[in-house]
Amino acid sequence: MTWQVINPVGIAPKLAPFAHASFFAFTESLSRSLMQAPEVRLFPDLVALGYWLRKSNMLALAEGYEHLAIRPVGNVFHAAPGNVDSLFVYSGILSLLCGNANIIRLSSKTGGSADLLCEHIARISPDHPGASARFQLIRCERDDPKLTALQASADARVLWGSNEGIRALKRVETSAHCRDIVFAHKISFSVLGMDALLRVDKPTLEQLVSDFCRDNLTFAQQACSSSKLLIWKGNREKLIAAQERFWQAFEAYLGTEAARQKYQFTDSERYQALNNAQDMAMAGLVDGNVQHSGVLRVWAEKVSPQFEEAHGGAGLFVESQVSELRELNRFLTPAYQTMSYWGVDNVEEWLKHCLVGVDRIVPVGQALNFDTVWDGMDLVRVLGRVIS
Amino acid sequence: MNDILLESPPYGLPKAEKQAILVGELQRLTLHHQRYCPHYQALFGHVEPQSIERVEHVPFLTVPLFKQRRLQSIPQEQVFKVLQSSGTTGQTPSQIILDAETAKLQSKVLVKIMQEWLGKGRRHMLIWDHPNVIKDRASFSARGAGIQGLSFLGRDHTYALNDDMTLNIDAIRDFYERFGSKPVLMFGFTFMVWKYGVQALAHAGVQLNFEDAVLLHSGGWKKLQDEAVSAQTFNHTVAEHLGSINVHNFYGMVEQVGSVFVECEEGHLHCPNTADVLIRQPGNWHVVEHGEAGVIQVLSAIPESYPGHSLLTEDRGRVLGEDDCPCGRKGKYFEVLGRMAKVEARGCSDTFEGSTT
Repeated sequence: MTWQVINPVGIAPKLAPFAHASFFAFTESLSRSLMQAPEVRLFPDLVALGYWLRKSNMLALAEGYEHLAIRPVGNVFHAAPGNVDSLFVYSGILSLLCGNANIIRLSSKTGGSADLLCEHIARISPDHPGASARFQLIRCERDDPKLTALQASADARVLWGSNEGIRALKRVETSAHCRDIVFAHKISFSVLGMDALLRVDKPTLEQLVSDFCRDNLTFAQQACSSSKLLIWKGNREKLIAAQERFWQAFEAYLGTEAARQKYQFTDSERYQALNNAQDMAMAGLVDGNVQHSGVLRVWAEKVSPQFEEAHGGAGLFVESQVSELRELNRFLTPAYQTMSYWGVDNVEEWLKHCLVGVDRIVPVGQALNFDTVWDGMDLVRVLGRVIS
Repeated sequence: MNDILLESPPYGLPKAEKQAILVGELQRLTLHHQRYCPHYQALFGHVEPQSIERVEHVPFLTVPLFKQRRLQSIPQEQVFKVLQSSGTTGQTPSQIILDAETAKLQSKVLVKIMQEWLGKGRRHMLIWDHPNVIKDRASFSARGAGIQGLSFLGRDHTYALNDDMTLNIDAIRDFYERFGSKPVLMFGFTFMVWKYGVQALAHAGVQLNFEDAVLLHSGGWKKLQDEAVSAQTFNHTVAEHLGSINVHNFYGMVEQVGSVFVECEEGHLHCPNTADVLIRQPGNWHVVEHGEAGVIQVLSAIPESYPGHSLLTEDRGRVLGEDDCPCGRKGKYFEVLGRMAKVEARGCSDTFEGSTT
């Protein structure tokens, strides 16, 4: 593969002030382009992106930083991830807001929504040469010499990827002052309250399972913020009843035409999930009695820190139970990112004493919503220089 | 192993009789592996062997587990041979642990099955591969293991290819002059036979006329389908360049050695007495009706030294019928529809794409 620029504009990038007018023109244009295209509706991540990019939201977002004097850090190199096709845009756009000159290397694996997104960006770029020059998308081999040269002169890098991938990128030489913002492998989990679940009415339960599916099945359970573990909170005696209630509703929802269209697993992914469950059982991490409820489920008497490496997603939930949230603290590692919760009280209180792991807590249904604070970092602040 | 399964004609037992005995064997093997293979016990310890009343009830292992960990049901000092499937370069190979007993049993079963297709006498054997493929005897590749496994069915073993995969014309001509009119067994991997065998013969303008030869080939149609070569084209081209030859494709896994499913004159793969297949639906993994496509599970009464008696393959297939194939053989018969379409591992694993440069 040669060096390929997706949206060339023929001019050199120039740094811009924070929240420059050209930024809003560009994002508004991209938002319109995405929201008006019928083919985009097939990709929920692009719909969400189009909505996030709308002018009112971008203005509100920028306003939150108005009290700070933010200047660009300079030239920023982004390495996009392969699992969530459009995730790279969020950090890219926030970097653009800061006035940086960005070069984003796309994953060679992406297809589907990323390709469509690229088309839209390429289409609007000629109307926004200044902003587009600061937002250049490229495809190239990982070891392309131009890429190495680019990183040598970068003032900051935004690195999305697997731990292995991040380590490889860290071996690339950069300047001493280069700021690396790293989004390595993360794992997420859900906590559901058993008491609340057993009391809930049918419409609320249906809403819960549909929210749970959106969070966790949208990218075939591959997004970092999609749960791989489901922790039942409450009295152990209620466990079986709570599980039955939840998974029956879950399976019924997955069987509907709408859910079947949205959440598809390939045969190969389903095979991988089964193999993954069997492999974890052989390792003694989970019980070997694999259950089927539209997805695979395995039981872990104790949640092990090893899940962060062992669990591959693709429609497999590891379930466990705690009586109190503080029992979670034992297994949490820095790799634990999002905790999505439902029917659980006093989460904030518990979080005060949770010192390792959990970068983010959200109600079930919002796990995939991108936030300017990600993996514990305020992206606007780390992608800009805050003048004091 | 049960004598009736072993000693009866390999395609002779009707369903009711076969199932009763086979289920008993598979039940016994399940208990055996629970006792002696700790990994198997960790996964399937919850299964009560007594609850296994039909082949559907036998728990099944996904095949990649043999790559992910060493699965053995014998003490280390009894290990006689370790088979390794080559897989794609760079991948961890499968490891299949054999003791002398299982190795002997697998040969015995294989001979019984193959006699059905080859007759009792040892045929003169022409191998469509190069001799180096079996050199490393300590750890065989899948190709080496296949050749080694079938070699004792023949004599005067002759390799048709050179180390660089070119035709060894002298060896082929010499073999033909000596055995052209005698009983001959040819064996090779489907793609090798096609690409380096018959296509090379066609290219070299060689036409031979073996009078009594059987060609066994295996390894999958994937690469040939990519070149749009059908079974008919394959068989026709073989006949054109080698003479009147009975061609039989067969299906089998290195993870279940000795258990092979040979294609009959009707183009159907047949289960012998000692083996069975089930087709499962991805997702809930329930067994589907005959005629429906799904993922192939293979069962075999052979594996004692490693827990390979019930395996969920990565291949898709379809059962076509049982006991009623027009060829007259009993047992289930089926077809293989190819590998499941592989998806790229999505993971957060992209910025680093595989190779470790």
